[in-house]
Amino acid sequence: MSTADATAESHPEAAGKAREAFRAITRDVAWVAEAPKPHKAWVAVLGIALALFAVGIYSIYVLVTTGIGVWGNSNTVDWAWDITNFVWWIGIGHAGTLISAVLFLTRQTWRVSINRSAEAMTIFAVMCAGLFPLLHTGRPWFAWWMIPHPNDMQMWPQFRSPLMWDVFAVSTYATTSILFWFMGLVPDLATFRDRSAARGDTIRAIIYGALSLGWRGSARQWHRYERAYLILAGLATPLVFSVHSVVSFDFATSQLPGWHTTIFPPYFVAGAIFSGFAMVFTLLIPARHLFNLKHIIKDEHVEAACKIMLGTGMMVGLAYATEFFIAWYSGNLFEGFAFINRAFGPFWWAYFLMVGCNVIVPQAFWFKKVRRAPVIIFVLCILINVGMWFERFVIIATSLARTFLPAQWSYYSPTRYDIGLFVGTIGLFFTLFLLFFRYAPVIAISEVKGAMPEAHAGKKH
Amino acid sequence: MSALQKTLHPEEKYKAGKMGAGLMKIGGGIAALFLVLSVILSVIRDDHWKRFLYSYVIAWSYIFSICVGVFWLVLLHHLVRGRWATVVRRICEAMSMAFPVVFAAGLVFVIPLLAGYQDLYYWAHPDAAACLHKVAGVCEKALHPTLVHKLGWLSPGFFAVRYVVYGVAFTVMASYFHKKSREQDDSGDPKISEQLRVASGPAMIAYSLVTCFAAFDVLMSMAPQWYSTIYGVNFWGSACVGGFSALALMVLGIQRTGRLTHSVNPEHYHDIGKWMFAFTFFWAYTAFSQFMLQWYGNIPEETVWYKYRLFGEWQWVSIAILIGFWAFPFVFLMSRWTKRIVPSLVLFAVWQLVFHWLDLYWNVMPSYDWQPAFHEGTQLVAGPLTGNPLYHHVGFSALDITVWIGLIGVLLAAFGRNLQGNLIPVKDPTLGLSLAHENM
Amino acid sequence: MTDTTHEPVHPDGNGNGNGHSDAGELYGLLAEYDTPGELVEAARKVRDAGYTEFDCYSPFPVHGIDEAMGIKRTILPVLVFCGGAAGTVGGVLLQWWCNAYNWPWNISGKPTWSQPANLPIAFETTILLAVFTSFFGMWILNKLPQVWHPFFRNDRFNQVTDDAFLLGIEARDRRFDAEATPRLLKDAGALRVDDVHYDPDPSTARMPKWITAFIVASTAFALIPFAIAAKARTSHSSEPHFHIFPDMDFQPKIKSDQALDLFDDGRANRGEIGGTVARGSLNADDVFYRGLDNGQWTTGYPKQLPLTDQLMKRGRNRFEIYCSPCHGYDGRGAGAIPQRVAAGGGAWQARNLVDASNPVAISMPNGQLFNTISNGYNTMMGYAAQIPYADRWAIVLYVRALQRSQNASLDDIPADHRSGMQMPEAPTK
Repeated sequence: MSTADATAESHPEAAGKAREAFRAITRDVAWVAEAPKPHKAWVAVLGIALALFAVGIYSIYVLVTTGIGVWGNSNTVDWAWDITNFVWWIGIGHAGTLISAVLFLTRQTWRVSINRSAEAMTIFAVMCAGLFPLLHTGRPWFAWWMIPHPNDMQMWPQFRSPLMWDVFAVSTYATTSILFWFMGLVPDLATFRDRSAARGDTIRAIIYGALSLGWRGSARQWHRYERAYLILAGLATPLVFSVHSVVSFDFATSQLPGWHTTIFPPYFVAGAIFSGFAMVFTLLIPARHLFNLKHIIKDEHVEAACKIMLGTGMMVGLAYATEFFIAWYSGNLFEGFAFINRAFGPFWWAYFLMVGCNVIVPQAFWFKKVRRAPVIIFVLCILINVGMWFERFVIIATSLARTFLPAQWSYYSPTRYDIGLFVGTIGLFFTLFLLFFRYAPVIAISEVKGAMPEAHAGKKH
Repeated sequence: MSALQKTLHPEEKYKAGKMGAGLMKIGGGIAALFLVLSVILSVIRDDHWKRFLYSYVIAWSYIFSICVGVFWLVLLHHLVRGRWATVVRRICEAMSMAFPVVFAAGLVFVIPLLAGYQDLYYWAHPDAAACLHKVAGVCEKALHPTLVHKLGWLSPGFFAVRYVVYGVAFTVMASYFHKKSREQDDSGDPKISEQLRVASGPAMIAYSLVTCFAAFDVLMSMAPQWYSTIYGVNFWGSACVGGFSALALMVLGIQRTGRLTHSVNPEHYHDIGKWMFAFTFFWAYTAFSQFMLQWYGNIPEETVWYKYRLFGEWQWVSIAILIGFWAFPFVFLMSRWTKRIVPSLVLFAVWQLVFHWLDLYWNVMPSYDWQPAFHEGTQLVAGPLTGNPLYHHVGFSALDITVWIGLIGVLLAAFGRNLQGNLIPVKDPTLGLSLAHENM
Repeated sequence: MTDTTHEPVHPDGNGNGNGHSDAGELYGLLAEYDTPGELVEAARKVRDAGYTEFDCYSPFPVHGIDEAMGIKRTILPVLVFCGGAAGTVGGVLLQWWCNAYNWPWNISGKPTWSQPANLPIAFETTILLAVFTSFFGMWILNKLPQVWHPFFRNDRFNQVTDDAFLLGIEARDRRFDAEATPRLLKDAGALRVDDVHYDPDPSTARMPKWITAFIVASTAFALIPFAIAAKARTSHSSEPHFHIFPDMDFQPKIKSDQALDLFDDGRANRGEIGGTVARGSLNADDVFYRGLDNGQWTTGYPKQLPLTDQLMKRGRNRFEIYCSPCHGYDGRGAGAIPQRVAAGGGAWQARNLVDASNPVAISMPNGQLFNTISNGYNTMMGYAAQIPYADRWAIVLYVRALQRSQNASLDDIPADHRSGMQMPEAPTK
């Protein structure tokens, strides 16, 4: 008689209980992709997203065939919505890596419910971000020259430029995010493969089968897999710091007041995590409600994210305070003026929006009642993202609109193509995210199972 | 990871007993001996206490930073409901309780400022406000145009007021966390953990502001024309390297006396090592940000600070810090084994503690040489970071070592004084998790 | 279960699967366990019994199973470190070679080999290569992709990714025994033990032809752009370049040497318009611009040029630049070029400007001298294009001074400058 049978006799309810819990997780996550008809809300939002994306496509067409003149950029505000959007999207992407990598390294097991969606969000955000540096060059078809390749003109990239550092940093970040995400997906794609095969859905079985590389859950393979996961998490952490630091170097290496300040790297990283978390939960709060995932993406997880947003928001606030203080302390006339100009110059309205949304709004998260009210959190997350967009806009546009020579002072207004492209990237992001949600495992099934108490069932202590 | 728990080993010695008092005596003895020696050396040197005070500021910043680094673990642990650090948290709290003593010791350089001492901080020197050309009673051309406006902020009076504020803030915070933690030893009340968690949020804000501004005041104002917004964050990074290194040594020292031998195991040392590694990297990141951005922008008001650290004798110190404080520990602390094998971790802890001091020395001492300025026949003091960098000597002095050891003695004495009663928060709800802590 | 024969085949696939024949060779045994903990214990027993060709299968990595199975620590971290180091070296070399060695380029005065500016990219290449090593290294060490494994013939195995905890022992293991092995597995608490056989029909183990065809075709397609690029790099074309977005490449303006049908002479360039003078080109003053005074060579100097010491010095400077190569510094016509001619065996002298015995240049009026400088004479080319008008007059002034100086007597020198001076010997021809 086997021990299991003995268990079944003496504790009939215990036998198979753990396995039942695991099956429940598989089911609850897989049904999202396997439901024959997509949820009505999903279709509606996808329709809107595709429409927005179409606006973006048209804006890109006009931009590429006519030139940068269709934007509102002009001397001296040479960077405006283009680079604001670039930094905004990259910042949003950082939360995904933080959730995947840093929360893994700090053993925060609650991350397993959200890390898959967050990683996917990172990849889509980076794709949206990458459009801007590419298109803002005016002749994007020459972009391949940024990759060093042998040519008969001995034309090499200027590696000492922060814009080149961006190329390397963002590509490394995109590559690493995709590889890390894919690696995490493989066991879950294998789950989908097996379920499709069992259902007789051959096409899906072949697609998921090819993508899952024949994964069979072997312990020997899990050993190397886990090691690689830990290593990638350990590599992704300094990477995420470095990418947004390199983005901040675009500004900080210059000599422009308001741009040239040493605190930019950690300040930008904190801001990125801040806005990224806000975007993750802008997406997941409705999703967990519509797709019945509240028992996996739990209220405590949402609350933990609110605390992280409060923390990173305070870091951003500390950076504002330090910049202000040092602007006065430095005695640099231009630096001091730059900060007064932010609050009282032509873009004062953007400045107050920024402070309101980034410093004041997250203060609501001190209160547990707020941290447990999903609808309020959803609204606050959107406001935080608006605030972070305006932070980059304030940094870029106000400093450029009031440079050293008063004769050059100007103002900036976006054109319809600026707005169209931004709106288009929002459409692209949501399109990709919705497609991901429908066809891929949106929660890391194997990781959730591994984090459940049932994962230790039957263990001898 | 697993939610395995362990209970305290029945034979575990977790009472401090006479250890605290013993440490206090030793620390006090070292402090007395070396500080008296320092005074004698300073009198022999006969430079009107200048070198002594500079060494003192460096050594004071050192002991202050260790308390800052160690206190960070206490606050973070409560804020995120951490689990691994519970076994070492009481030790951190005891070290944080050294803040009042540290700030009392710092009065040795604050009071002379109030009494009019001019040679420590240039902003306390009358020539900082010197005017070269007056028109109708208004100064048209100052010797240091970007310095004059901040002499209200950087005045001995306001400096002392802020110093007291920092001291009070740290003392109040450290006391609160320490007191509540000890309360929980008796009652075991989980609500106390909740109270501490709630308090750790605002405490973090106060901690950040005070640490940054203390760094601006005590260290950055050594070169008052210079400025860097990341300076406070960089100091904090360096402080945490020192703090975690000191923690490793403190825990080992306590274990050597036969206490806590069952509770603290290589898993905990591994985590301390991870924090040492992480902050070594973070310090290098902030230091590099500061350097590269000011180098790249090439604005003379900013590059002046680096000019005196990258040429002449100081370049060797810079290279030593780059390799010693960052490269070497970074490469070797990457591996899990260097962190788990206690002698190896101790080696790196000692190493980092020495280089942390060198980093603070490098932050302060290039401002020691004050060059003269001549204007219309009168000799003024131009202040720090002037003149030919090749003539700025590193000039290690025996005073640096004696004052350093003396103040470490002060820190040990203050630490020993608070090392009483339970060395572990015996009734903390997370203690079981901490004891069972395992790394992957 | 008291016997060790395998369970009967169930039509719903709980045994060895629907319709799979058992006639093929035995690959191994698969045992299922209820909980992860039991799987770990079973693995420990199997390892202790000396088996090596076995593995555990679970939907997530089970804590403690590595140690129970005796899995050795993977070498992956070492490989990643090497990969990262290679990335650092590569990144540094790339930047040094391109920017500091192959084509050093001064950008805002920054050093071409500047470590602070090179560090960010070196950091990123380190991470990138370490990531690639980690990712691809892990899959390679795991021998994946491997889309087929004999155990997939077992239905329960296909549910490992859902909720099954299986332990599989391969029949080729040295310790494998048809009776002892299943007993060991059952004693460890297996819910069931299945035989898994190879498919007797070997064709099912081969990749379907259409997949092979797809892979070959897509690889071939993927190579097409590279082939096009390679051909373009190594061949010549007389076709003009593509202009995908013409922008301002083709401009409707007319260039000066272009052919143009519009005009009878077929030229775009219409030449100067008769009866017009460009602004600033009237040059009405005959004396200054042409050296003529009422149609005769002028004997004075233009009104607008005061005859100052400065003008004389200018004249000397210009003479020495433009005229001395032929005429010599002393104006006697034996300058560097005649000397060069002589060195080559020839004999040619420029005009002697100061010769009193053959006073062509001396008797020439100023205006004519000016004209010679402007338009040349015989072998001498005109210098109008190189010497502005005022400078030519300065040269005229200097030539006159030269002429006077080379034909002077002691009486021409003021008395107070005369001491210590002697008349030189008259030069012999």
